[in-house]
Amino acid sequence: MRYAWVAAVLLVGSLQLARAWDGAFVYFGLAALAGFAALLLARLVPAGLAGLAVVVLAMAGGFLAARGASPERDPAWVLLDTVPRLLTAARPAPATPELLVPGLLLIVGVSTAAVLSVAKRGTALFVPALGAAVLYVSAALLTTGRADRHGLVALALVVLLALGWLVVDRHGPVLPPAVLSTALAAVTLLAVVLPANGFEPRRLVTPPVTGIAVANPLPQLAAWAAQGETELLRMRGPEVPVRLVTLSRYSGASWEAASTYGPLGVVDAPDLPTGGKVQDASVDLRITGLRGEWLPGVGKPQAVSLSNAMVDPDTGSLVVADGLEPGLSYTVRGVLETPADTDLAEASVPSEATRYTALPRLPFTLGEYARQATRNARTPYEKAVALEQVVRLDRRPDAEAPVGSSYARLETFLFGNPGEAGAGAGTAEQFASAFAVLARAVGLPTRVVVGFQPVPEQDGERVVRASDATAWPEVYFSGWGWVAFDPVSGNGSGPSAASKREVLNRLASTTATPTPTSLPSVPPLVQPTAVRPDEVAAAPAGESFPFWVFTPVLLLVGLYVARTSRRVRLRAAGPVGAWHEVLDSLQLAGLRPEPSRTVPDIGREWGEAGARLAVLVDQAAFAPRPGAHQPSWPLARQVRKAVRRNASWWRRAVWAVDPRPLFRR
Amino acid sequence: MIDTGEVSAFRDLHARLGDAVESAVRGKRDVVDLVLVAMFAGGHVLLEDVPGTGKTTLARAVAGALGGVSRRVQFTPDLLPSDVTGTSVYDPQTGQIRFRPGPVFANVVLADEINRAAAKTQSALLEVMEERTVTVDGVGHAVPDPFLVVATQNPIDLDGTYRLPEAQLDRFMLRTSIGYPSVDDELDVLRPGSGAGRIADVPAVTSPREVSAFSGRLSLLHVADPILRYISSLGVGTRSDERLRLGTSTRGLRTLVRCAQVYAAAKGRHFVVPQDVQDIADPVLAHRLVLTRESVLAGVTTSEVLADVLSRVPVPKPSAQ
Repeated sequence: MRYAWVAAVLLVGSLQLARAWDGAFVYFGLAALAGFAALLLARLVPAGLAGLAVVVLAMAGGFLAARGASPERDPAWVLLDTVPRLLTAARPAPATPELLVPGLLLIVGVSTAAVLSVAKRGTALFVPALGAAVLYVSAALLTTGRADRHGLVALALVVLLALGWLVVDRHGPVLPPAVLSTALAAVTLLAVVLPANGFEPRRLVTPPVTGIAVANPLPQLAAWAAQGETELLRMRGPEVPVRLVTLSRYSGASWEAASTYGPLGVVDAPDLPTGGKVQDASVDLRITGLRGEWLPGVGKPQAVSLSNAMVDPDTGSLVVADGLEPGLSYTVRGVLETPADTDLAEASVPSEATRYTALPRLPFTLGEYARQATRNARTPYEKAVALEQVVRLDRRPDAEAPVGSSYARLETFLFGNPGEAGAGAGTAEQFASAFAVLARAVGLPTRVVVGFQPVPEQDGERVVRASDATAWPEVYFSGWGWVAFDPVSGNGSGPSAASKREVLNRLASTTATPTPTSLPSVPPLVQPTAVRPDEVAAAPAGESFPFWVFTPVLLLVGLYVARTSRRVRLRAAGPVGAWHEVLDSLQLAGLRPEPSRTVPDIGREWGEAGARLAVLVDQAAFAPRPGAHQPSWPLARQVRKAVRRNASWWRRAVWAVDPRPLFRR
Repeated sequence: MIDTGEVSAFRDLHARLGDAVESAVRGKRDVVDLVLVAMFAGGHVLLEDVPGTGKTTLARAVAGALGGVSRRVQFTPDLLPSDVTGTSVYDPQTGQIRFRPGPVFANVVLADEINRAAAKTQSALLEVMEERTVTVDGVGHAVPDPFLVVATQNPIDLDGTYRLPEAQLDRFMLRTSIGYPSVDDELDVLRPGSGAGRIADVPAVTSPREVSAFSGRLSLLHVADPILRYISSLGVGTRSDERLRLGTSTRGLRTLVRCAQVYAAAKGRHFVVPQDVQDIADPVLAHRLVLTRESVLAGVTTSEVLADVLSRVPVPKPSAQ
């Protein structure tokens, strides 16, 4: 019975800790039971030796597992090194051996101590409670409290421990349960409050940052376009665009990717906050033909199952320093920003994001072209839609077009005379770059993403080929995040096409033309149609009230009510009820009389009131036709006072809410 | 059903008897009470004690307080059954065979050192204790009522004695010992001119008739079902104890119920409570238990085993009826 209880406590604690890893539940669940191995061993050798043996075995195993990750390190440091390794790893950490080691060792130690202590009497409650608290706090620290947002797991643990002291440990633990439960409640509160205060163990460790000089992948687009059907990668999961790299710096000559990368999941937030409406997407990817260091991902990556993947927190670009290998399989979980068009219509852009509007030495023609094209647009979204249309019109995709995204190449692309190489023709590189430069010219924070278009599913897999490679610009809207636009000619469709057409219709009807292009001369692609306004999204929920604060309070109130109702019931039950009240008090004071002791024998110990009450009780219980009895409750109250005076302070502190009498028959 | 008025009358009587006996036997109220309980319950007492602790005084004081007759029989190996029960003799004056009653024809009989007599003499006494009649030449002669035999046994100096077999020990309702008095009581006894041991001064506070009337009534005292169940589990507890070769018989448990009734009434209650059972369990049951050989060699006593059983069996929990 008590072993089942300690196993339950350990499992809850371990599985809670396992949430700091990605898919570590099985390992941690097994490790939680390691203490029982020590128990078996303790039949052969003294318990202390058995515990030591299990812990040493676990450490040896951990050493061997961690050795693989840092073979050149001094052996003494290998195990110690796993902790900073874990703290700088992605969050949740991938379930690789060297990252699992610290958690497994912790659990094995706690489990061994808890199980062996339960095997002995006396400390049965204390060590499991301490162990559970250690596991819980570790989990809270590793996940900054995200593993147990509302404190429900903590509540479950407290209840479980309370059960232990009710059901398992009849003889009373060495440490008073009240002290334990108070400490546990305090720890719980602390653990839940901590992330709000911003304590973060990862700040104690400097994450390694790697500089990577990776070639700009934009020119590669032309090469991929030429390769056509060559298979690059396969993916399983929802139909979402695959992102390879995000380019946010523009020098006037070319786009550049970020050059410093850190481990995934470290503290640094992106420079511009994520939008208010997001959805999670998780895809399994397998590299088949793709080369280079960029690791394909989806959305803003939250977790990657590769331990050596690194990320640029601002753009979410993933790299693998060793380069991609054919056959590499991994899972990426990312966040996609999914604002509705109606959300964007009135959205503003942040003025401080100068990094995304920087255009060194912008030629006048490009700036003027952008201003004219967006002259009638009221909002940033209308400007973006207008520019998308302007770039798209009269230009054709051409895989053979000259590569490049310098100002000169873009001027040729936009304004070049027919016959000139690359005039009005380009790959996705030119379309996306042109849009990005024009958008930046009118103050929209813009960046360029290189990736792959969503492809249809075949036999459960999506095969991404070289011809699917593309580039698209993204504009940042305050509160909604990065929104993709598609200026590539010929793509007039998509989920947001209708609202964009509505914008374009209105722009065209109110205005005349900007000079260099034929924006107004172009007839609307479709007749204006009534566009059903999307459901307006609910305002992003503010700080939800922390209702978990009340769970302990509610628990206490509930216990108090239950105890009071028991007392009322007993009071109505005459002398026998009064006697049960005395027995309740004795139990609360930690003095459970032996069941073989008689009522007068017990009552005598508590003075005259006890002796008198005992006479009444015996009469009520054993006399024939017990008549009207004398008032017995005041006597019971006197005895209760006497018992309570003798109890220790902590028993008096929880006197009114101690649930143990509720379980007594 | 016996009511509270009757019970308080009995309590007064019991207290008076106790006080009267205690004037001669100092500081042994608990033993006196037990002997009185046995008398009212219609049983007999076996006192195991060394010589000189007041066994004879106790028996004679009880008889004196009762206002009845007391006799003493010193058991020796050559004592004959007829020396105890009485015999038929020829009366030369009337020329007829006449029954001459033995010492058992008394309200209180003190059978001293019962284990020194031969088995057939012991049996004769035990038979009278059970049957309450002496049959001589086919004629039954009833002993007076109340009839209390107080037998003594010397636990040391066992050479040349005939141990009472278990079946005969079972005939005794209670076994107890007086023991030495406390220092104060002993000083009181030693002081010249004290009333201790002066049987002649013990007042007769009741009559044999009153005692036997109460004795019959007390068997109607209320015993609640949980108490009976508790007594039954005590019996089961002794029967399942590994240290015992023989646990309590059903007769032993019945005797316990009977004693508990009288004991409760002596406390002024018209019902039995678990404490009564616990208080008299040892004197009533301990001599009925038989230890295994191993336990005997280990020096365990039946009283210790019984105390273990009592501390193991939960008492009935008070619950509203």
